[in-house]
Amino acid sequence: MKYINDPNRMQIEIIKKTYIFSIIPIVYALIAGEFETLLGFILGLIISTLLLRLRVLNIERSLDMPEGKAETFIRNRYFIEYLIYFAVLVVAKRNPSLNFLATAVGLFMMKFTVIIWAIFDMAKGGLQNKLKDYKDLKEDKYEKGGQ
Amino acid sequence: MRKGDNKMVEFSPEVIDTVIRAAALLGAGFAMIAGIGPGIGQGYAAGKAVESVARDPEARGNIITTMLLGQAVAESTGIYSLVIAIVLIFTI
Repeated sequence: MKYINDPNRMQIEIIKKTYIFSIIPIVYALIAGEFETLLGFILGLIISTLLLRLRVLNIERSLDMPEGKAETFIRNRYFIEYLIYFAVLVVAKRNPSLNFLATAVGLFMMKFTVIIWAIFDMAKGGLQNKLKDYKDLKEDKYEKGGQ
Repeated sequence: MRKGDNKMVEFSPEVIDTVIRAAALLGAGFAMIAGIGPGIGQGYAAGKAVESVARDPEARGNIITTMLLGQAVAESTGIYSLVIAIVLIFTI
């Protein structure tokens, strides 16, 4: 992950990548003509984006507090976020024009993106290391052959 | 009752419905226990992050990003339980 030292840049990257990943289910829902799924998914996606921003603000605020106070603060904020999730899911369940499961998937999309991104990065790092090892080995062999 | 006369107790459909609904609500309550764990974990992580920033203020950005990613992923178990609880409450 390139922007690990810059939280603001990182959150923009997460949101961008999430939206890019989300194009696949959105296009699928459009082609299939399932507008409830589309609306539910978009609702979940918007709420998860806003909650990510809220989480960044909470974390930045908590780092200026004493340790015990920060623990309590983040715990309380987590339960507030949990209530928001609950409200969104209840709305999706009760409203016939929103698909409940699509809303849940929209809420999870950011987490899936982070996990997939981390796996890709790990795989990329492993591959680059292997290539570097292979190049070093080849250079060693070449040098030995030259002598 | 004579030997070999196995009669099952029959319940009315209303009673069966009530029992199923009660079991579903009980299940939803149990599922919500899973929502407590991430809260405690996130709080603990925040405390440790404050400690780390106090030790090395230059690593603040790195700590915020790592904590953000960790919290975003850790929260998903809580939402799984929430989804299951809502399905149990509203579907049955």
